[in-house]
Amino acid sequence: MDPLFGMGILALIGAVAAIAGYTEDLESVVGSQSNPNSQVQLAPQMKYPHRLFNKAISGEPLSNAMSATVGGIVFVAFMSAFQLPVITVIVAGSAVAAILHIFLSTTSFFGRIASQSRFKQPLYMDVFKRNISVIAAYAFMTTACVLIISYLMTTYLENPIPVPLMAFLLGIMVGSIGSSVGDIQYGAERQFQNLEFGAGVNAAYSGNIVRKAESGTRSGIDNSWFSAKFGGPTTGITFAAVLFITSWLTILFNPEWGSIVGWVGTCAGILFILLTILANRILEKSARRKFGPYREEEKTEIVE
Amino acid sequence: MIETFVSFFFGTSDPVYIFTLLLLVTFGGILITLSVHLIPVGGAPAAMAQATGVGTGTTQLAAGAGLTGLLIAVSVSAATQNFFFTILLGGIGSAVMIALVMLMSNVGYIYGVGVPPASGKTVRDPLTNDRQDIYVSKGTEGHGVPTASFISGVFGGFLGGASGSLIFEVFIRMDPVLSASAVVLAVVLSISLFFINAVIASYNIGGTIEGFYDAKFKRLPRAVAVSATVTFICGALCLLTLINFGGII
Repeated sequence: MDPLFGMGILALIGAVAAIAGYTEDLESVVGSQSNPNSQVQLAPQMKYPHRLFNKAISGEPLSNAMSATVGGIVFVAFMSAFQLPVITVIVAGSAVAAILHIFLSTTSFFGRIASQSRFKQPLYMDVFKRNISVIAAYAFMTTACVLIISYLMTTYLENPIPVPLMAFLLGIMVGSIGSSVGDIQYGAERQFQNLEFGAGVNAAYSGNIVRKAESGTRSGIDNSWFSAKFGGPTTGITFAAVLFITSWLTILFNPEWGSIVGWVGTCAGILFILLTILANRILEKSARRKFGPYREEEKTEIVE
Repeated sequence: MIETFVSFFFGTSDPVYIFTLLLLVTFGGILITLSVHLIPVGGAPAAMAQATGVGTGTTQLAAGAGLTGLLIAVSVSAATQNFFFTILLGGIGSAVMIALVMLMSNVGYIYGVGVPPASGKTVRDPLTNDRQDIYVSKGTEGHGVPTASFISGVFGGFLGGASGSLIFEVFIRMDPVLSASAVVLAVVLSISLFFINAVIASYNIGGTIEGFYDAKFKRLPRAVAVSATVTFICGALCLLTLINFGGII
């Protein structure tokens, strides 16, 4: 394969991956999936009933992998059975995956809220109706982007993994990145905006989530408006960077051309990892210098 | 022993060869367990900046990293059939993924939440010797990924990717013809072995760990024993499956 052509495809993959990461994070924020869901689930038990959408189908990686795999299977089935154009089958696959996601979100929402009736958490039908279409739209976008990446990787980057399995792998990847990078801002900042900025959430405040919005009561859509400004973009950048850098190592320095090229690729990878370690160290030092310690150094006893 | 390794590389077959394959798979499984112990994971509390590490589940992060490595390993394996580069680049792919995730989650902690990375388990960072306890905010057990955890995570990611690729390479070499179904079978079986070992390690560390300096890391021998037993049994089943599907005997 021509490396220039490969780099062009890779740039396209990076752009689509950025959108996939962005919508994946916002989908989990609207529905309060993943780790911050623990606080939404805990709130009624601590006597804070809320109007947030509460679904935790499973961990984000598995739920996204499920949607993506279903989309991938429909993609392959429609393509081989009806010889439809690629764009059409991607839309068809994503639509089927979004419908499946609506089913799972619905059962998850009703099951979770109903189980909290003993804590006097009402089941609001308007919360369900308002949020479910947004969740479906984001799930559709994520699945469509994952299918586009899978198609580009299998067709143009000559990866031997077929589309459904590739979609499964990418679904696990995007979910794991969205869960670890994007949810921090939602879990530690947005849910606890009543606490002072610049500290982790004290364990004593667990469940005390903010329930009032900028206007009226807070819903999942308000949260996605907030996360769209930081949590979503960081997830998108990370997913795009992971796909771009890892594929770049084998496309620009393809080990097929000889072991020396393979070694150069390995060295480039190690160099990139060293750069991230350095960047992290600089970030850590600058954060400590700017924010300062929470307690005075002299007054604190060292307990070994 | 050397002869069996030679026969592994050249693909001749006998019971000793199959047993060597099984031992390699078991070794890969043990390495996956070790890798999960090295990756700093804070679980759900870390998403609320209440614990040090990346804010997601152990299995999920390890799987995300390992499968990134596997993706690279499959493409390298298909292009070159080079055993060494498949494992090496698989490991590098995983390490790149985990390094980027840790870096960007630190960006989230610093600019999104406003907390500096700090460990709650040690007073001083074992590698940089920086004070940690005074940077831990009240009522939490640390937040973010400090330097020692970061480096521990990079090594963990590398080991995870490399061992996942090793298992994949063993399975793909069972079938001399590189057909699409052989690739799918090898990938699915290696993903399943990856998840099995990640869950074993996850139970052993109880959901959160900060890296090699964490006290929970000392529980490693127990996990290695369990992982070796389970991977040996499951690896034998995988090899039988592959032989049943027309793999090399």
